[in-house]
Amino acid sequence: MAKRFDLRRQTGFSEIAWFCLFALYAPILMLVVFSFNDNRSVVKWTEFSLRWYYEAFDNDGIRAATAISLKLAFVSAFFGTIFATMAALATTRTKPYKGMYLAYAVINQPLMIPEIVTAIASLSLFALIKQLTGVTGIGYLMLAHTVFTIPFAYMPIRARLEDMTLTLEQAAADLYAPPTKVFWKVTFPLLIPGIVAGAMLAFVVSLDDVIITLMVAGPGETTLPIFILGAIRRGITPEINAVSTILLVASIVFVAIFFLVQKKRTK
Amino acid sequence: MNQPQDTTPAISVRSLVKTFGRGAEMITALNNVSVDIRQNEFFTLLGPSGCGKTTLLRLIAGFELPDQGEVLLHGKEIAHLPPHKRPVNTVFQNYALFPHLSVSRNIAFGLEMLGWDKAKVTATVERMLELVKLEPLANRMPDQLSGGQQQRVALARALAPEPRVLLLDEPLAALDLKLRKDMQLELKRLQDETGITFVFVTHDQEEALTMSDRIAVMSNGLIQQVGTPHDIYYAPETRFVADFIGDINIIRGEVNSTSDGSMQVTLAGDLEMTLAGTASVGQSVAVAIRPERSHFAVVGAPETLSARVTDNVFFGAGTNIHLMLNNGQGFIVRIQGQESGCKPGDTVAIAIERDAAKVLDN
Ligand SMILES: Nc1ncnc2c1ncn2[C@@H]1O[C@H](COP(=O)(O)OP(=O)(O)OP(=O)(O)O)[C@@H](O)[C@H]1O
Ligand SMILES: [Mg+2]
Repeated sequence: MAKRFDLRRQTGFSEIAWFCLFALYAPILMLVVFSFNDNRSVVKWTEFSLRWYYEAFDNDGIRAATAISLKLAFVSAFFGTIFATMAALATTRTKPYKGMYLAYAVINQPLMIPEIVTAIASLSLFALIKQLTGVTGIGYLMLAHTVFTIPFAYMPIRARLEDMTLTLEQAAADLYAPPTKVFWKVTFPLLIPGIVAGAMLAFVVSLDDVIITLMVAGPGETTLPIFILGAIRRGITPEINAVSTILLVASIVFVAIFFLVQKKRTK
Repeated sequence: MNQPQDTTPAISVRSLVKTFGRGAEMITALNNVSVDIRQNEFFTLLGPSGCGKTTLLRLIAGFELPDQGEVLLHGKEIAHLPPHKRPVNTVFQNYALFPHLSVSRNIAFGLEMLGWDKAKVTATVERMLELVKLEPLANRMPDQLSGGQQQRVALARALAPEPRVLLLDEPLAALDLKLRKDMQLELKRLQDETGITFVFVTHDQEEALTMSDRIAVMSNGLIQQVGTPHDIYYAPETRFVADFIGDINIIRGEVNSTSDGSMQVTLAGDLEMTLAGTASVGQSVAVAIRPERSHFAVVGAPETLSARVTDNVFFGAGTNIHLMLNNGQGFIVRIQGQESGCKPGDTVAIAIERDAAKVLDN
C-alpha cells in the first residue's frame, strides 16, 4: 500500500512549526510572566507577586477605560449581532434575487477595506454630523463599533443558516405555522448557536479595536486598548502587562466560547 | 368519513406544468400532468429518479407554485394558498423532525399552530403515540431515536392534525429491508384506521404494488398510466410501464389480420395468437408477457414458441430460465424452486397463458 502523503513527514516541517508557535506565543508568554514580577523592571525577574494587578485595579484611569470598553463591546455586539442576523437571513432565506451577491459583498466590505480608511472616513463623516447637529457623545463610537462588528457576527450566523436545510422550515409551514411562527419556533431556536458564536466574535473584535476607536473617540472616551497605548508612551510598566493580561484572558474566554458553540454545531 | 355519495376527488390535479431554470438549462419537471386521487385512497406515485414525483407532491403541499394548471382539494382550488393554509400534511423523506423538540412536542407542533386547546392537544398526542407505538419514547429527543422510530414520529406528527390528505415522500427509503416491510404493513394499517387519503411516493415498484389501491406510473414529467396494481402489472399500456414494473418479456409480433378490437399476431415469427388491440395489418407491434405467465411445454406441441436455453438464474424463491427465441430475442420463463431440468443449449417449447400477452402502445 502506498504511503499517504503526510505533511508532517516533510523535512523541516516540525522545526518550522515550532518556530512559528514560538514566534506567536513567546512574546505573549513573556508579557504574562512579567505581569507577575515583583519589580518595576519588565525584563529582570525577581519574585512572584500580584502587586501590579492590585495597582491596576486601583488605577482610576484603568477602571474607567475598562468600563467604557465593556459598555462599548456589549452595545456593539448586541446591535451588531441583531443586524448581522437580519442580513444573514436576507441572504440565505429568500428567493435568490438580483444583487444578492452584491449584498453579500457589501456586508463583508469592512473585512476587505483597510481599517485605517474606514476609520478616517468615519471620522470625517462624524465630524460633519457633529458640526451640523452639535450632538456629541459616545454614541458615535458605539455606532462605529456596531458597524464594523457586523461582518464578524455575520459569518458564523450565515454558516449556521447554510447548514440548516430548508426542509425543517417547510415542515413547520406544512404543520400550519405562518411565516413569523416558523421563524420564532424553528429557525431562531436552531440558529442560536450561530448567533452566540457571532456575538462572541463581535464582542472580542470591539474589545480589541484600536484604529477606528482612536479616530472616532471623543474626549473622555478612552477604551482599554487606547489607554494602554497612551500609557506605554511613558514606558512599559508591569502594570500595563497586568492590564494586557486581563484583556488577553477576556479575549480568550470569548473566543473559546465561540469555538465551543461552533464545535457543538458540527457534532 | 362516511360519505359514500361524495365522489369528489380528494386531490384533483389539472394540466400541471412546472419548470425549473430558464433558457437552455430549463428542466421540465412536470409536463402537463392531470390526475384524480380519490377520497380514502392509498394512491402511489411511482417512477424512476428525477421523473417529477417529489415536484408533484411539493405542488400539492404548496412548497412550489405551478407554472400552469390547477390543484383542487375536494373540489376547491388551492394552488394559490401558502403551505400553512392547506389542510394537507407531509411526511418528508428525511423525516425533518425538529431537532430541538422532544417527540411529543414534535407531534404537538401542528396542533399548537392550529390553536387547539391544551387538553385536546395532550389527548391527541397521546393517541398518536399509541397509534405508532411510541408511548415510552414521548420525551426523547429526535437524535436519540433509531431511523424507524424517527419515521414513526414523522408519521404521527403529520397525522395528528387530521389532514384531509397525507403526502408521503419516500418515507421508507432510508430503512433496511426488514423494517421497511414491517412499516409497509403499518402504513397500510394506519391508512385503513384513519381513513385519510394517502399520496405515497416511491421508486420501488414492489412497494407500490403491495401497498396501493391505485398507482400512477410516471416518467420524464409525464404520467404514463394510472391503475390498480393488478392493471399496472398485468396490463401495462406502454413499454415504459411494462419495463419498469418487474421482469417482463417484450417480444416482436407481426399483425396478420384485424377484426373489431382484436387481431391475429405472429409472435417472434413462430406462434400466432389472438390479442386485444388495434393496429394495421403488416404492422410490427411490441407484445409484453410476464415470465411467470409462461410455461414449458412438450417440444413440438401446438401453440408454443420454440427457444433455446441460454442460462439458469436462481434467485431464492424460484429460478429464471433465460431463453433465446427463433428470432433472436431474449425471453425469460420463471419456475418455482431450483430444478429446471434443462441446461444451456437445450431446445424447449414455451406455452403462454391465455390473456397473458399484452400489446403495448409504443
Ligand atoms: N429546485 C429545483 N431546481 C432545479 N431543478 C429541480 C428542482 N427540483 C427538482 N428539479 C428537477 O426536476 C426534475 C424532477 O425532480 P423531482 O425531485 O420531482 O424528481 P423525483 O421523481 O422526486 O426523483 P427522486 O426519486 O430522485 O426523488 C429533476 O430533473 C430535478 O433535477
Ligand atoms: Mg424525490
